[in-house]
Amino acid sequence: MSVLELEHVSKCYGRLSEQVALRDVSLRVEAGEMVVVWGMRRSGRSTLLRIAAGIEQPDSGVVRFDGHDLGKRHGETLGDGIGYCRKRFTPSEGQLVIDQMITGLIARGVPPSQAGSRARAALERAEIGSCAQLRPAELDSAEAVRAAIARALAFAPRLLLIDEPTIGVDLLARDGVLMLLHSLAQQGMAILASTGESTSLSGARALTLSEGELHGQPTRELAPVVPLRRTG
Amino acid sequence: MSARPAVDKRTRKGAGTMQSAVHWALLGLVIERPSYGYELAHRFEQAYDGMLQLSGFSYVYTALDTLQCRGMIEEISGTRTGRQPKPRYRATAEGVRSYQERLITQMREDFRRSRLFARQLAVFAQEPEMALDVIERYGQACLEEAGDTPVLAPGGACADPVSGLAARLVSEERRLAMGARLPWIDYARREFKALAAGRIQPR
Repeated sequence: MSVLELEHVSKCYGRLSEQVALRDVSLRVEAGEMVVVWGMRRSGRSTLLRIAAGIEQPDSGVVRFDGHDLGKRHGETLGDGIGYCRKRFTPSEGQLVIDQMITGLIARGVPPSQAGSRARAALERAEIGSCAQLRPAELDSAEAVRAAIARALAFAPRLLLIDEPTIGVDLLARDGVLMLLHSLAQQGMAILASTGESTSLSGARALTLSEGELHGQPTRELAPVVPLRRTG
Repeated sequence: MSARPAVDKRTRKGAGTMQSAVHWALLGLVIERPSYGYELAHRFEQAYDGMLQLSGFSYVYTALDTLQCRGMIEEISGTRTGRQPKPRYRATAEGVRSYQERLITQMREDFRRSRLFARQLAVFAQEPEMALDVIERYGQACLEEAGDTPVLAPGGACADPVSGLAARLVSEERRLAMGARLPWIDYARREFKALAAGRIQPR
């Protein structure tokens, strides 16, 4: 059973449904797999992620998470198996990174006695434990993305959805962010990312969205398996 | 039938532009670091894995002979010693200059090939479905190439800094090239879809 499954999903916007965001999209993402969808602006890539997260409902088609129809769960899945990262770790004034993480956890029902340790563990897992006592505005672009990932990781998701993971990230720091995502996939997480940058496709099952239509391999079959490598 | 005039093998090797990609690649390796034949064969396999292939290890000696005849490499004196002599070769100034020229020419050839592909695709203006089929397959090949490009984290341990740099440069070139191709595919797909739907007419 796939972690995420979209079956003939369509979505339109506008008073007369004249803007087609997704057109008959079918896609599967398995545990331990990273799928990256490339598209131009307004290609429907962000809509795809929101629908995959259950934040938005499709006009037609089915979205399943762990075999369960997301349409019947009324958005409750977020934080319970699905992590959704927006483009950046958006800061609140006056709070440290760790405080923001803890606040978010408590707001979602995690007991205060556990929130601190969970937040610190998530930051360590995203390899920015040293940034816990910084203010969000002090983070550089790569750290801000890692913080956004850490915030999702704090809820131990089986599916991570991430919008534009490397946008605005310094060229030399970008591969470190991608390595983090690939290592999370290697630990068994299913990852679906959207991107407008071809560089983020490395090592992933790469797909494209054009005018709401998905192109490429919608399932893992035939997708290349690329090992991670470190070079100096 | 008149007999062909005898041509000195060495003279013939030196004539015209050297076409073999393997010869140029071997010259590049000698520029990178002086080596002897067998060592070069091993280095070739590591450096150009998946890009170029040697027909056999012995081919390296043929190539070295050609490069030497063309004045692109020279034997380092004093290295042909011992019971099993391993003469080492280094690049000459002429070899380095020719190699630089070759790199530029090669890139220009790539530009020409891209233009040619676009022009040849346009022959399907009256049969856009045919073009869309080609675009779909080209797109799939690009996605496989993009996904097949490894993520190379900077700062990792690597015994050979040149290999690390080469791997990162190759990886980045593949990724950024895809950054140009994917939007072009998107654009071409839209053009031919519009033709197929009769929204525009070929001119």
